[in-house]
Amino acid sequence: MIFVKLAWRNVLRNKRRTLLSASAIGIGIATMIFTDAMMIGWKDLMIKNATSTFMGEAQIHHKTFREMFETEKTIPNHREICSKLNNEPKVKSWSSRTQSFAMISSAANSYSIAVTGLDPIKERPISKIDDNIKVGKFLQGNDKNSILIGHKLADILEVELGDKVVVTVANAESGDMSQEMFRIRGIFDFGIREMDRNMAFIPLCTSQELFGIGDKINEIVILFNNLNLKKELNLPFWSELKMKEEIAAESWLELQPELGAVLEMIDYSIFILGAILFLVVAADIINTLFMSLYERMYEFGILRAVGTRSLNLGKLILLESACLALISSVIGIAAGFVITYYFSQRGIDYSGTEFVSVSMDFVYPVLKWNQFVIYPIVTIFFTVITGLYPAFYATRMKVAKTLKAQF
Amino acid sequence: MNNVIEINELRKIYQTGTIEVNALKGVDLQIKKGEFTAIAGPSGSGKTTLLNLVSGLDTPTSGEVKLGENYLNRMTGRELSDFRRDHIGFIFQSYNLIPVLTVQENIEYIMLLQKIGKKERHERVDAILEEVGLGGMAKRFPVELSGGQQQRVAIARAIVSSPAIILADEPTANLDSKTGESLLDIMHSLNEKHGTTFLFSTHDQMIMDHAKRLIKLHDGEVQSDETR
Repeated sequence: MIFVKLAWRNVLRNKRRTLLSASAIGIGIATMIFTDAMMIGWKDLMIKNATSTFMGEAQIHHKTFREMFETEKTIPNHREICSKLNNEPKVKSWSSRTQSFAMISSAANSYSIAVTGLDPIKERPISKIDDNIKVGKFLQGNDKNSILIGHKLADILEVELGDKVVVTVANAESGDMSQEMFRIRGIFDFGIREMDRNMAFIPLCTSQELFGIGDKINEIVILFNNLNLKKELNLPFWSELKMKEEIAAESWLELQPELGAVLEMIDYSIFILGAILFLVVAADIINTLFMSLYERMYEFGILRAVGTRSLNLGKLILLESACLALISSVIGIAAGFVITYYFSQRGIDYSGTEFVSVSMDFVYPVLKWNQFVIYPIVTIFFTVITGLYPAFYATRMKVAKTLKAQF
Repeated sequence: MNNVIEINELRKIYQTGTIEVNALKGVDLQIKKGEFTAIAGPSGSGKTTLLNLVSGLDTPTSGEVKLGENYLNRMTGRELSDFRRDHIGFIFQSYNLIPVLTVQENIEYIMLLQKIGKKERHERVDAILEEVGLGGMAKRFPVELSGGQQQRVAIARAIVSSPAIILADEPTANLDSKTGESLLDIMHSLNEKHGTTFLFSTHDQMIMDHAKRLIKLHDGEVQSDETR
């Protein structure tokens, strides 16, 4: 107990130095808390934007559809699946789509694109096409020959809202060319170059007729009620779907594996950043402890002379490092909370940027209780470990040498 | 009377680069229990080295130091620490006290290391503070005391666990003569009352005059040894 008292009072002895050192370590902790919160916010935003823009949280296709995106690979018994989805309480909404590669032509130009047929009513809560229409309107239920194109494609085709374009596709049934004329009802801007230049949306019924697939569909897009379910692939209906030989039911992680890899990379980045920060912190601790140690050489000599064992002297140094870490943790937790809370309310503007084909907007750092427990505990642990070196040094000091000035 | 300290053929050579300094050149000494001995001599005569070796704070190049029945050169570092804690009291020239501990905490520090109970510690601290004339100052920090008061606390700390020997390095060096004399009176009375052996290193004529035995060192050798 006397060593705890000694350690605590020694740390508070030079308040300015302790405050400076504790602040430096505290800033390290606050940085880790903020970075962690920021990365969670970043990941959440990426997942949210990746899934809510167009991809959805899960998709169902014909098993081989995604290999070549052949329109004739339609989902077998899709009505039965749709009926199951309607009765599944975990599914928030779903929508049917068709897809085909096509040539779109205007009076000025032609361009190769992917045309998606979608149900205007069911699609609205699933994707953000409606939200991203900059000019014009989203498709209506009774639309037949309306088309939505991206602003970059509009530039290529040199067309504007209300202009006519012709879409040419290969008929899935006969293999012949099919053409249909559409009027541009809306021009969208996702902020994702690929989508803004290479995609167009037409009504589902028109697409089925144009592609020659009858009432069949190529894709069912799903949103879940609980955000976490998008990662949960063990739902009963999910496994039931997967058992069907010709059906592929995939979550966003499987649909966009590169996004999963990026999220994993973010976790590694936090680890690397943490390691660098702790190295800096360790250097600061060693410096502080040694400065304090050299200043008190004579005092240590007195302690040893009156019977303090060398190991107890080492223990005292370790306790001092723990006290320093404790003060630093309080500063770090307070600073980390204030900074992270401020930005969690205000957000950090990343709008207009695109990352792994995902458009970004405001990133809101996410506060979690474990950030305020794990990082301070890790800091205290590493501080004490770092204190081992000066503690070892203290145990090896020659008592007579430390008292040289006196005897 | 039994010898409390026995020093046989004690030598200490310091190596500074290629230069060898013979700090002690085969000193033989015996100090009996209850002696009030002063070691005097000019700077570099070996007083410091002798006290360091007697207390086990340093190791001799050759020779032996025997305190009671214990040979210091046969002890481990840990045993030496415990031996100093239980049998040797120290009074240094100045800055004797741990500045972050109160007077009471400074005095009871050794008893804490000895794991003596709180009640006994407090009783002993109160008694010893009265004895050195510092009653009521237990809660003060060293910085709140004068130099003389700090030295009294150091004496209290040295004596509180009833050690067999007290080693004092120039204990009056930084004090005015009046304070020094009163301090010497306290140590004298403790020596008389408890039979504690005192070994001083000093330049102070007053201590030399009060000492029952005066040993003069010169160039690492005993020049004279006078018992009064």
